[in-house]
Amino acid sequence: MHHLLSWILWMPAIGMLGVLALPNSKPNVIRYWALLNTLITFALTIVLYLNFDQTVPGMQEQFSVRMPWIKQFNIFYSLGVDGISLPMILLTGLLFFLCILSSWTIEKSVRSYFALFLMLEASVFGVFLSLDFFLFYVFWEVMLIPMFFLIGVWGGENREYAAIKFFLYTFAGSVLMLVGMIALYFVSGQNSESFNIMALQGGKFGDLTLRLFGSDWNFAKIVFVGMFIGFAIKVPVFPFHTWLPHAHVQAPTAVSVILAGVLLKMGTYGFLRIAFPIFPEASVYFRECIAWLGLINVIYGALCAMAQTDVKKLVAYSSVSHMGFVMLGLAAMTIQGTNGAVLQMFNHGTSTAMMFLMIGVLYERSHHRWIVKPDGTKGFGGLYTQMPIYSIIFIIAMFASMGLPGLSGFISEALIFLGIYKEFTSITVLALIGLLIGAAYLLWMFKRMFFGEVNPEVSEYDDMNSREVFYMIPLCIAVIVFGIFPSPLLNMMRESVGALVNLMAKFH
Amino acid sequence: MQIGLNYLYSISYYVPECIALLTMVGVLFLEVTYNNNNEKRTLSLTFTSLGLLLVILSLTYNLSLEPTAIFYNAVKIDKFGTLNKLIAAIATFYCVYLGYKSKDIYGYLKSEFYLLVLGVLIGGMLLISANNFLTVYLGIETLSILSYPLAALKRSDEKSSEAGLKYALYGGISAGIMLFGISLIFGLCGTIQFGEITEKLHILTNLQKAILIPSFLLFFVGLGYKISSVPFHMWTPDVYEGSPIPVTTFFSMVPKIAGMAALVRISEVFFIEKSVLQYSWVGVLTVVSALTMTVGNVTAIGQRSVKRMLAYSSIAQIGNIMLGALVIDQVGSQAVVFYFYSYVAMTAVAFGVTMVLSDQYGNDYFDRFNGLIYRNPILAIALIVALFSLAGLPPFIGFVAKFNIISGIVKNGFYTLAVVAVLNSVISLYYYMRLVRLMVLKKPDSNEELYSSTTLMKIMMVCFTAFIIFSGIFWERLYNLTSLGINITVNH
Repeated sequence: MHHLLSWILWMPAIGMLGVLALPNSKPNVIRYWALLNTLITFALTIVLYLNFDQTVPGMQEQFSVRMPWIKQFNIFYSLGVDGISLPMILLTGLLFFLCILSSWTIEKSVRSYFALFLMLEASVFGVFLSLDFFLFYVFWEVMLIPMFFLIGVWGGENREYAAIKFFLYTFAGSVLMLVGMIALYFVSGQNSESFNIMALQGGKFGDLTLRLFGSDWNFAKIVFVGMFIGFAIKVPVFPFHTWLPHAHVQAPTAVSVILAGVLLKMGTYGFLRIAFPIFPEASVYFRECIAWLGLINVIYGALCAMAQTDVKKLVAYSSVSHMGFVMLGLAAMTIQGTNGAVLQMFNHGTSTAMMFLMIGVLYERSHHRWIVKPDGTKGFGGLYTQMPIYSIIFIIAMFASMGLPGLSGFISEALIFLGIYKEFTSITVLALIGLLIGAAYLLWMFKRMFFGEVNPEVSEYDDMNSREVFYMIPLCIAVIVFGIFPSPLLNMMRESVGALVNLMAKFH
Repeated sequence: MQIGLNYLYSISYYVPECIALLTMVGVLFLEVTYNNNNEKRTLSLTFTSLGLLLVILSLTYNLSLEPTAIFYNAVKIDKFGTLNKLIAAIATFYCVYLGYKSKDIYGYLKSEFYLLVLGVLIGGMLLISANNFLTVYLGIETLSILSYPLAALKRSDEKSSEAGLKYALYGGISAGIMLFGISLIFGLCGTIQFGEITEKLHILTNLQKAILIPSFLLFFVGLGYKISSVPFHMWTPDVYEGSPIPVTTFFSMVPKIAGMAALVRISEVFFIEKSVLQYSWVGVLTVVSALTMTVGNVTAIGQRSVKRMLAYSSIAQIGNIMLGALVIDQVGSQAVVFYFYSYVAMTAVAFGVTMVLSDQYGNDYFDRFNGLIYRNPILAIALIVALFSLAGLPPFIGFVAKFNIISGIVKNGFYTLAVVAVLNSVISLYYYMRLVRLMVLKKPDSNEELYSSTTLMKIMMVCFTAFIIFSGIFWERLYNLTSLGINITVNH
């Protein structure tokens, strides 16, 4: 049990080395090996869940790993798990397993693809498990390398541009975080300078000043802004979102799923783990600003989604909109709001993953994704009669994403609105409009694609095969079960979220 | 005041330089005794490599010596200097090997290449351990004068001759300005010894200080030219482009290590105390380093030749390293040494792979790298790792080097400069990625064998790559090694 977290973290890395050792001439062996590897990793995350003590706030001591890495800088290889990271870890384990299944049809350089994919998984786990800021930063950056190649080599026509834009944007954000991290290191104590995230938490830097351009500034606020930009680019928050549609549209299906399902959550996870607890006074100071940015995300993302004719781009913008809800929940800094935000991170992960997987399934048949083709004709039409199973699963995904009561998205959005209503009433009311637009663009998209006359092209499509149905089932179960019965997730996070909100409440 | 060891005793501290000198003489003998060109080539290579190995070994031994001033206080042997000499010697070793392989040099090569390279190394070592201004000048001139023929080594090539001439003209002028600065300092302080000048600094009148500041700036011109910092960088791209690749590799390493080591030493010796002198020196270095990084990176974006791009990128890297010099404390000087250890490994790979392609096609335009990963995965992966590392991505050593540098400046409160530095690494990532993109995302133009990519070459690239990755993750040991060099003191 003591090394469970290390196993979870390094299992995909072992898988990667295994993939590299296998011959390129046997793609199926590589695929099965990668599948087995991610299955084991997922099983390990389940083991973690089963051994998780839901009554303990904060880090769970029985799992914590802490070994010196670089002694001179007080850097530790330090892993831990709490109620906020556990849902993300479960989500990561599940989605990577399913994505390997959905990547079965990849034919180009199979070995490199799966090696990079597993490397990506290891670095994502690293981000969610690290308790040392330096370690966190290393994983945060390492993740860019496999992403760059996955989008750049296996993506669509405009993949190079998308890959480079993604890479540069995220790198620009994270280097600002690096400066903040180092500044934090040097102020964290005379003799106990450290990167230990848990030791840095608690609002110790509220009174420090920082000399910049010849005048004194509040240290916490300046560093908070630097880190905020770093995380906001990942979420992505409104002015920094422009990389996302490109990256999503160009990435291969499985990578889109991971990007929307897991990587975007790393940004909000960064707020929950680092920016908020380390600088509670600054986050309280800026929270109205964060809430407004979240609102812009919700409305602007939804409006952009409505205007799209490419269905994948539509879902990409819907992610912008849905991550806006998470930002709203975070800005509320109340129990319901933060619970809702973490829950939304998980639920958006499952529902948007379903959407992207479904679009991927369709793309393999149609090789285009136009709702309306550039020449003005319908891209699809009558899918409902042609592909009944596909349509049913698509409906589940769509309603989950829309937030229909009974499906997972509803609970988290309701919690977020409950949490934020008292804090920022006008923003809540405006955000509800975003919900309405959300329903509108999804239903309109559904109408145009699934109803109407059957296109001649569409009549040649086969319905989903058993592999495709198989990897959709776990996600269907997740969105339905957590829509009716969210308490397993809420119990998991309750204590940790409570501790965080109490910390923030001291600075209101 | 101690006057340092006399000549006879000094020799025992000066073994590495003596070995290098003897090797030079030996190569000269080989040159005149053998007629057969092929035999001579191999023999001189063997002889030079052996000599350099001995130099490296004796330097490693020198690491255990206590700091001592030798030659009547003209030269200072300390760990900071020895560490820098060590990496300079290793870099030279690699360049000697490249020079043996390179097609650029092959046709013209007698033994001049080895001779000159060793001479430059000796000049660099002198500069690194200089303890008075005359030695600094002597070091820089030895370094420069021997570099001019190196740049022009490819005699029949116009660009190479142009490079040599340009280098000589720039070098001559900046050395003159530097000498003028030194003479002003001498006039004010009445001595050229570092130790004596630091004592004089306390008793200078304000007027004298007001003259001293511009004299130091004039002196900085010489060093700034050697490390190619903006605005003295104009020669760099042309010289780098014109010179044969092994020479370019050499220029981007050894003279820069030497010049930067001298800069760090001078900063720490004269400007460690808070005063108007420190304020103006740090101010100048701040502006110069910010400009060097930005100009280097921005200009690198538009280049067509990889060599030229690497030249600009090395200017930018130097701007980064200067950040370690301007903080004037132990963290900074340690970070500079650490940076050089990583810089040499990364640059070695970048230029090594470029040489393989340039030997094949006769030029090094970007599109020569198309689809390299499908043609020669080992070289391509080595280059990708080196480029990502140069940009400062973890888990590679370049990240750790940047981390150390930025730690130094953030610790001393230069926050704006830190932000400029990290944003610059974003720009650098852009043009490094241009190359990565070509290698990975484009289809290869042809599938012909790369004949310069021999097994030995591949092994070397793999070793450097392994170093870049391994030391990027477990950098504790390298950090300990480089932190030997944190104490730079003046001998009193």
